[in-house]
Amino acid sequence: MNRRKFLTFLGSASVASAIATPSTAKASHTFPYYPESYGVLHDTTRCVGCRQCEEACNEVNHLPKPDKPFSDLSVCNTKRRTSATQWTVVNKYNMNGKDVFRKLQCFHCQDPACASACFAKCFQKQPDGSVTYDGTQCVGCRYCMIACPFYAPGFEYNEAWDPLVKKCTFCKPRLDKKQIPGCVEACPMEALTFGRRTDLIKVARARINNNPGKYLDYIYGEHDAGGTAWMVLAPANPKAAPIPPDNPVLAGPEFKQLGLDTHLGNQPMGELTYGALGIVPMIVAFWPVLFGGAYAMTKRREAMHKQALEQTEREAREDIALAVDAAVRKIQETEGEGAADRCRKAMAEALKARETAAKHGEEA
Amino acid sequence: MRNRTKLLLLAAFALAGAACLLFRGPDGTMAAKAPELTDSGALPVQVLFPVSAKPNPGAVGMKPVVFTHKLHESKVQNCETCHHTGDPVPCTTCHTVEGCAEGNFVTLERAMHATNIRQVKNGRTPESCVSCHTKLYSQRKECAGCHSIVKPNHNAQWCAVCHQKVPNMTQEQFAKGVAGKLDPMEGMRLAEATIAARKEVKYADPTKMNYRMVIDSLVDKYEPNYFNHARHIVSVERKIKGNLLAKAFHNSPRVFCKTCHHHTPALATPPKCVSCHNSRIDKKYPGRPPLKAAYHLQCMGCHDGMQVKRPRKTDCTGCHKLRVAQKGD
Repeated sequence: MNRRKFLTFLGSASVASAIATPSTAKASHTFPYYPESYGVLHDTTRCVGCRQCEEACNEVNHLPKPDKPFSDLSVCNTKRRTSATQWTVVNKYNMNGKDVFRKLQCFHCQDPACASACFAKCFQKQPDGSVTYDGTQCVGCRYCMIACPFYAPGFEYNEAWDPLVKKCTFCKPRLDKKQIPGCVEACPMEALTFGRRTDLIKVARARINNNPGKYLDYIYGEHDAGGTAWMVLAPANPKAAPIPPDNPVLAGPEFKQLGLDTHLGNQPMGELTYGALGIVPMIVAFWPVLFGGAYAMTKRREAMHKQALEQTEREAREDIALAVDAAVRKIQETEGEGAADRCRKAMAEALKARETAAKHGEEA
Repeated sequence: MRNRTKLLLLAAFALAGAACLLFRGPDGTMAAKAPELTDSGALPVQVLFPVSAKPNPGAVGMKPVVFTHKLHESKVQNCETCHHTGDPVPCTTCHTVEGCAEGNFVTLERAMHATNIRQVKNGRTPESCVSCHTKLYSQRKECAGCHSIVKPNHNAQWCAVCHQKVPNMTQEQFAKGVAGKLDPMEGMRLAEATIAARKEVKYADPTKMNYRMVIDSLVDKYEPNYFNHARHIVSVERKIKGNLLAKAFHNSPRVFCKTCHHHTPALATPPKCVSCHNSRIDKKYPGRPPLKAAYHLQCMGCHDGMQVKRPRKTDCTGCHKLRVAQKGD
């Protein structure tokens, strides 16, 4: 096996391993599903669109005051999005001819897509259920905003120096102080129920079962996008027959009217990206070694070759020197001192001329 | 004498009528008075027995139901509402206790109580007693207020509203009824006696209750709410006055109390809301709304059902004034 063949083999092996990596990474990816994590159940049948949650969010998170006051309820009519200064908004939707309000904020996914897309590891799913953001390493790439299926993160476009991504923190600082999120506390209708996620799923099921015909038999966020900490209950269509439980296909058109997508699938968003992004560390770690090694090998071969060349050169030079010396000594014996000196001089001149000729030849 | 034949005919009819009226039975008593039939020709009141095809020598079974056909007939659009096949036969012809092939094996119990009835695409979707009553109390706005919050407890008391004790009914009569062989006229007399024995339930007197309540345990941003307790009860009572369905099923004097004072026995001094609803989330009961939400859900839930337009749900100051010392919203 020569050098060329060896390198071809090594290269193809590395490419093959890179292609094979996604499947193995997917299999080995397990996300810690914190069983004690908190969540919020948003019951849209109870929401009256009073915007108290928005006001409370603004207050507890010290966000800038909006242009229109929170008592102006007409803003719910426009389909607003969350932004860097509005971490939660309440929008009015028309569901089968009836006005239904829904609160928008970060859903705090069980396996967040933003965290999987962020190469700076700014996002983290915490054991308490919140998905937190640490901007110290943020480079402002906004991959998280692209990755989020709920369009939740907002970017500080107005910030000239160090703009950061801003989104609902699940009131993490309040949770740490054993307080419930500001919006939940402010809600006058308990349209937002705070509790352990496992409990909330039971509460939601109980509400669906105890009020036949009131709710769609589907808890949005129980499995959607791999499960979210914030879940949504929607009112049933009073004119249509009730849908079978937990059917994302049949519940889809209903939730679509609420601006929610049931086609996100049960698979955690992260699983789609962790595989591909899992290769990155491998490339970072393996490729420098591979190419560095190949480079070092070439370098060493060159060095060895040069050394060998120099050796032969040196030996040849020594041979000539010895031969000249022997010839001069012979002349000295037979012709005398003067002839030997002349001869030595001629020899040295001839060698010098040869060397300069060789040097010129090399240069040319 | 051109009208002689006509006159003679008239006289004959009159005589026949008189004879009919004066006819007496062989035992000398008046013959069973021809019942005042309903518009459709059915008996006005009936006893519906749990008819079973199986032999029932001991004659055991659920208490029969006294059914006022006349009243129900006037409340539905047409006979097919209940007689869904279009054939006005008794329900027990097809729906027996065990169910039979004619009734598609829908048992009598289901036929009378089912609420999850499959919608028939082409044709009439049948109704059961309970499904129709449920529809009424959740659609009529005078009922839907309370009943959007409280659903009837399906307990023994609830069953007894229809499955009443029939006085004077003998064991033989019941055995006959269960076999489906009781004379309808005899059944009607039993039903009449049962209805006569019914006692009317008088609602508790609202004037003897709290007149006005001050709801001030959460005063923070807003002033307390002055809740006119008596007025709310009087208003609801007035709205359902003359509603026979309500009269039949509201079988306890403090039935109105149970809407707001739920999950507790109907006492003269029920526990306060705050007894169960803490102002903070109760870890042990994750589904239980905290106090503020409990108030709002009860008030607005009932107002929603009754389609009370004002105060609007987002008009906080409609119920409690803004506190002056606090900064505005």
